[in-house]
Amino acid sequence: MLRRILVWIAAIGAGVLLGLVSAWAALQFGGSSFTEHYGHWVHSRAAGSTAAGPYTRAIIARDGLLALSAREAVYFSLYEDDQGRPLSESCIYELNGRPLDARWWSVTLYADDNFLAQNTDNAHSMDASRAGNDAPWNVRISPVRGDATRWVSSREARRGFIVMLRVYNPQRDFRPSEQSLPVLTTISCAGEAS
Amino acid sequence: MSWGKYILGALIVAALVHFAAIFAVPRVLMNVAMERIGAAGANVWHTTGRVTAASRQIVRPSPDFAYSACVFDLSGGPVIITATPWDDYWSLSLYGANSDNFFVIDDREAHYGAEITLVRKGTANPEGASMVVESPSARGIALIRRLAPSPSTYEAAARIAPEDVCASVAQLTN
Repeated sequence: MLRRILVWIAAIGAGVLLGLVSAWAALQFGGSSFTEHYGHWVHSRAAGSTAAGPYTRAIIARDGLLALSAREAVYFSLYEDDQGRPLSESCIYELNGRPLDARWWSVTLYADDNFLAQNTDNAHSMDASRAGNDAPWNVRISPVRGDATRWVSSREARRGFIVMLRVYNPQRDFRPSEQSLPVLTTISCAGEAS
Repeated sequence: MSWGKYILGALIVAALVHFAAIFAVPRVLMNVAMERIGAAGANVWHTTGRVTAASRQIVRPSPDFAYSACVFDLSGGPVIITATPWDDYWSLSLYGANSDNFFVIDDREAHYGAEITLVRKGTANPEGASMVVESPSARGIALIRRLAPSPSTYEAAARIAPEDVCASVAQLTN
């Protein structure tokens, strides 16, 4: 009898553990099932939507709590460089964009904990009011500004940081595509031969 | 000993815990956000200062916006929420306890600011209220975003933020 009770306790314990691990795995690795990819940009059209499924809602809440619905704003995240490597503070990148069919856009850099990088450069983002939205634009993403006209600082962002594109009041004909979204190019990385 | 029933039991428990965890994640995160934003009380706007690297209340804050946030609590009846207009983009958005963005209005629709009466879904709408919005939950977060990418525009936005209202009808009539 005691042995049977102990086995049941072990089975329930294993079930709880399996449930928690599988939920964590679904949130950690299952995001790609609910997202769209445009080149290396990742987008979840269900962000903030009341129609979001439970998995999408959980992932959005973890990565972008208080996101707006797609009618108001659309969000794109970049986790990799043009060669599929995690974004790194040790590299210099250039982000080249064209005018977007929207009222306003911004590009913001977040460390891998989803908060702004711990630096005091006051260059966490670039937006349409500074870069313009009527001509091609470019932004350098690097730990030091150098001679860049427009700069987003990656100092203290370490490895695995995120570049987030916000597109506010997208026009009705706004159709994201690999061609219409900004393109990230790796200029150089410390320790690599150029 | 037959192991089948124990394995089946473990799998049923795993499935229940899995779905409960997925269901709970947005609600727990919203609760944490409401605790942080509403530490000084519900139904009142809070401004947190310009977003910097030290801003760690909500994930992925935008340094280009001046934010005002209010934890609304409908347990005492309807809540009046107003947003003062701003020269550039601004929006008022409402989030339920499950993190859904169930309402948003911006300057394209409300040139002269917004005033809404927020009620719990399924309750009677107050008489005379101009714009009534039904909330799917008793508690949630109201958020005003004002585009203010420079220190000077942020300061200007911060000056008008105190004119916004987030208060229960009972508070306003007392």
